[in-house]
Amino acid sequence: MLTNAIYPFVAVVGQEQLKKALQIALVNQKAGGLLIGGEKGTAKSTLVRAAKEIIGTQKIVDLPLNATEDMLFGSIDIEYAVSKGERRFLPGILSRATGNILYIDEANLLRQELLTAVLDVNASGINQVERDGISFTHSVSYTVIGTMNPEEGVLPGHILDRFGMYVDAQSEKDVVIRTEIIRRSLACGFDIQSFRNSYFNETEKLAAKIALARSIVEEIEVSEAMMQLAAQMCAQAFCAGHRAEIYLLEAAKAIAALAERNYVLPKDVEEAAMFVLPHRMRKPPEQQQENPEQQEEEQPDDNEQQNQDENEDNDEDSKESPLAPPPLDDNEDDGDEEDNSDDDENQDDDKEKEEQSPDNDKNQLAPEEQIADIDKNFKFPKMVLDLGKDRNVRRGSGKRSTTKTDLKQGRYVRAEMPKIKVEDLAFDATIRAAAPFQRLREDNGCALNIKSEDLRQKVREKRIGNTFLFVVDASGSMGARERMRAVKGAIFYMLQEAYQKRDRVGMVAFRRQKAELLLPITRSVDLAQKCLAEMPTGGKTPLADGLSTALVTLGMLNKKDSELEPILILVTDGRANAIEENSGDPVESALKMAEKIRKAKITSVVIDTETDFIKLGVAKAVAKAMGATYYSLRSLSQEQILRIVRNLDV
Amino acid sequence: MKRMSVYPFTAIVGQDDMKMSLILNVINPSLGGVLIKGEKGTAKSTAVRALAELLPAMEAVHGCKFHCDPADPNLLCEDCASKYTEDNKLVADTVKMRVVELPVSATEDRVVGTLDIEHAIKHGEKKFEAGILAQANRNILYVDEINLLDDHVVDVLLDAAAMGINTVEREGVSYSHPARFVLVGTMNPEEGDIRPQLLDRFGLSVVVTGEHDPAQRVEVIKRRLAYEQDADTFIAGYQHDQEELAAKITQASSLLPQVDINEELLETVAKLAVELGVDGHRADITVIKTALTLAAFNGRKEVELEDVKNAAKLVLPHRMRRRPFEEGQLDWDKVESILSSGAKGAL
Repeated sequence: MLTNAIYPFVAVVGQEQLKKALQIALVNQKAGGLLIGGEKGTAKSTLVRAAKEIIGTQKIVDLPLNATEDMLFGSIDIEYAVSKGERRFLPGILSRATGNILYIDEANLLRQELLTAVLDVNASGINQVERDGISFTHSVSYTVIGTMNPEEGVLPGHILDRFGMYVDAQSEKDVVIRTEIIRRSLACGFDIQSFRNSYFNETEKLAAKIALARSIVEEIEVSEAMMQLAAQMCAQAFCAGHRAEIYLLEAAKAIAALAERNYVLPKDVEEAAMFVLPHRMRKPPEQQQENPEQQEEEQPDDNEQQNQDENEDNDEDSKESPLAPPPLDDNEDDGDEEDNSDDDENQDDDKEKEEQSPDNDKNQLAPEEQIADIDKNFKFPKMVLDLGKDRNVRRGSGKRSTTKTDLKQGRYVRAEMPKIKVEDLAFDATIRAAAPFQRLREDNGCALNIKSEDLRQKVREKRIGNTFLFVVDASGSMGARERMRAVKGAIFYMLQEAYQKRDRVGMVAFRRQKAELLLPITRSVDLAQKCLAEMPTGGKTPLADGLSTALVTLGMLNKKDSELEPILILVTDGRANAIEENSGDPVESALKMAEKIRKAKITSVVIDTETDFIKLGVAKAVAKAMGATYYSLRSLSQEQILRIVRNLDV
Repeated sequence: MKRMSVYPFTAIVGQDDMKMSLILNVINPSLGGVLIKGEKGTAKSTAVRALAELLPAMEAVHGCKFHCDPADPNLLCEDCASKYTEDNKLVADTVKMRVVELPVSATEDRVVGTLDIEHAIKHGEKKFEAGILAQANRNILYVDEINLLDDHVVDVLLDAAAMGINTVEREGVSYSHPARFVLVGTMNPEEGDIRPQLLDRFGLSVVVTGEHDPAQRVEVIKRRLAYEQDADTFIAGYQHDQEELAAKITQASSLLPQVDINEELLETVAKLAVELGVDGHRADITVIKTALTLAAFNGRKEVELEDVKNAAKLVLPHRMRRRPFEEGQLDWDKVESILSSGAKGAL
C-alpha cells in the first residue's frame, strides 16, 4: 500500500554517510542492522522508508510503538481454533520480518523489554513462543533498522551495542544545498508522480547495484591481515566483547560488494569502522581524566597509520574520531572534564574568599540582595534514581519509573488471569483462551461461547515521572557569588534531567525571616528554571521554616494525589540562624522539623554546600534527622554517580 | 444535519495570528498543523471549533471509513485500493472536511483502533475497529490541552503523524490505513511543557494573549452577550462574512498550485535557517510552504518578501530552542535583517 507516495531514495540531498550505512545494512544482514540518531527533520525516516524501492523483493516491516507482545512474537490463530477446534500458531511481526527489514521508528520510545527481545531473538535466530496454550519454535532472521531522536532520552549502552552500526544524521549547513532541499521538497509536494518519474532511472540503477552486491557478498574473501586490522581497531576503541570485530568485517564485506570487488581492502574496514565503532567506544580506564578536546573528524587514513605506529597519544584521537560518538554517557558533553576542573577551582576560590572573610555571615546581615547567574557548565554526576520497578499500583504520567497502573490507562502490556473481579477485560486474550474449546461447548447463537474461566484481564503499565521539591537556601551565607552559581548549576542539571524524564518539580526558597514557595509543584520544568535564574540571595537562614514549608507543600500534594511519591531535595549550608517567633534555637528547631519529615516518610536528599574551613556540620545532622541521603557539593562534583534511593529505611 | 450552534469564526475579535494560521492550514493541509499557546479564555478552543463551519467540501470514497480521496490512487486504504484495481473507478460522495476531537483522556486503543469484539464473538473472526486516527484522515485532528496528553498516546500520535499511516499491531489485529491529518493543538504553557518531538510536528505555532485594548475588550463582551442572548440571530448577522471567508479559502486552494517563488527568496530562506541554526530542514521548507499559501490567500501568484516575513513569524519561534532551557527567543531583528539583505541582493 502507498508505495507510490514514497519520496525517492536517490532524491534525498546530502546525508551521504547515512545512505551508505543503509546500503551496507541492506546488502549484508550480518552487519547487524543500523541505528540512526540525530536531530529532527534530517530525512532519517524518509530514507528508511524510501529504501523499500531499492531492495527488490524484500519488504520493510514496521514495528509500531503500539505493538503488543502477542502481535510481535505470534500467538494462537483464533479463527482456526474456533472453526477447527485446534490450536495453531499464528505468526507475528517477527515471522513476517524474517528475510526482510524490521523498521522501528523512534526506537528510543519503544518499550525497552520489547526492543531487547527483538534484538536478542534476532541474535539467537530462534523465536520460541510459549503462550496462550501454544508452544512453538521457529527460526527468524531479519535486519533491524531503527531511528531515534536523542532529545527524548537515549538508549542504554547494552542496547546500543546490539546494533551493528550507528549513524548520526546532521542537517546541511550549506545554503545552496539547503535551497536544493527546499526545491525538491516543493516539487515532490506539487506533483509526486512526475517527481518520482524523474528519478526512476537512478532508483533502478541503485536497486540493481544493491541486488548485485547482495548476490556476491557471501563469497567475499577476508584475508588474515584484514582480520588483524579489525581486531586492532576494536581493541583500540576499547570495545567490550567480540561482536564489534564481526560486525566490522561483515560491514567491510558489504562495502567491497557494493564496489563490486570480491576481496576486502583496508579502506573498506576503515570505512566500516565509521559506522561500527562510534557507539561502542569505551574510554580506556587510565585515560578517563584526560580531556579529549581536539576532536578530529573522519580521518580513517590517519588512524590506520597511527594504528601501526601504536602511538599512545593518537589512540586518544582515534578513539574520539571519526564520528562524534552517540550520547552513550547521557549528559556528558565533551569538555566535561575541563568544566570539572574549573569547578574545583571555583570552589577553591570560594574557600579562599570564605577564609578571607570569616565573619561573612555577620557582614551579610544587612540584607543585600544579589542574583547569581547559573553556572551552566556545572559538572554534575549522572543522577541515578534507584527506584526500580515498584509493585504498587499507581497513576501518573512521565518517563522516570515504570509502574503498574490500576486506571484503565497506560499501555496494555499483557494479559493475566484475573484475581478477583475483572474490570479491564483483555478481549483478545479472552478470545484466545476461549477459541480452542468452541467445538466442545454448546452453541449459543454466537460463534464464540465464552465462559468465566476464559476471562483475562489487561495488565497495563505506564511510566510515571517523579516529583521533586527543591528546598533551596537563599540566605546571605549562600550568597557568596560563586557558591550560589555552583548550587544553581547543580539544580539546573537536575532540572535538565527532570525535563527529559517528564518529572514534576517545585521550588521553595528560604531567606531572611521566612520561606517562600516560589513554584508550586508543576510539570513545567521551564518555569522552575526561570524561578531558579531569578532567585535572589541575601539575609538570614530560616532553615526550619524552609523545611516546614516543604512539608506543608508535600502534604497538600499527598492529599491530592496520594499515589505520587515526592522527593525532597534540600540544598543548604546549614547555617541556620533565623527562627520563627517563640521557638528556641534555630538549629534545634530545624532538627525538629527534619524529624517530622522523616516521620512523614518523605524521601529526601541533602546537598551540603558548606565549604568553610571549620565545618559546623549542621546540614549533615539535619540529613540524619530526616533520614536523607547526604552529599556535600564538593564530593558531588567528584563522585561519578549520585544515587537517590527511594524508601530508605530509617 | 442540524448541528448545535457554533460561535462564528469571523465574529472572533482580534487574534489575527491564530485565525490566519488556522486558515492557512485549511488552504494547505501539508503545512503540518498549528500549535496554539495561550492562557485560559483567549478563544483558543472557540476558534478551532468555529473553523469547522468554514471547512471546504471534499470528494470521498462512498462508504469508506477513512474517507479516501478517489482522485489520489496513491493514498487509498486497502479496501478502496482493491476496489479501484477491480473496477478502475470509485464511487464518490461529497462530504465536508471535519474537526475531529481527541480528548485528553482517550486511551490508546480508541486512538489507533482495535479488535472489533462484537464481530469476534458473533462470528469468530477478527476484524479491525477503526479509531480516532481513522476518522481524522483528511480532516483536522484537534487536541485540546495537548501538553497533558498521556505519553504513550503522544507516541502513537507521533508515529502516525510522521508517516501519514497508522499501523496497528495490537490485540490480535494487524492493520494499517492512511492517517493524514492536520494536527491542531492548544495548550496553556503554565500547566506543563509539550514534548520536543511533538512540538516539532507542528508546522506553525502562535501565542495568543488576551486583548489589552479596553475598546476591544468591550467588543468581545458585547458580542459574547449578543451570542448568548440569541445565537441564531447573531450567527445570521455574520452569515455574509462567513460565506465570504469560505469562498476566499476555496479560491486560495485552487490558486495555490500556481503560486511561484523566485530563486533569491528561496536562497534567502535557506540562509536564514543556517544563520539561526535551527534543527533539521523542516523549518525552511515550512517557511516557504507557508509563504506560498499566504500569497495564495492574498490572491497573488508570486510570493513577496512580506509573505516570507509573515511566514517566518508563524514557523520559526517554536523551533528556536534546541535544548531544554535554552532561551528560545527568536531574534526578530536578526530575521528581519537577514531577509531584507537577502532580498536586496536579489534586486
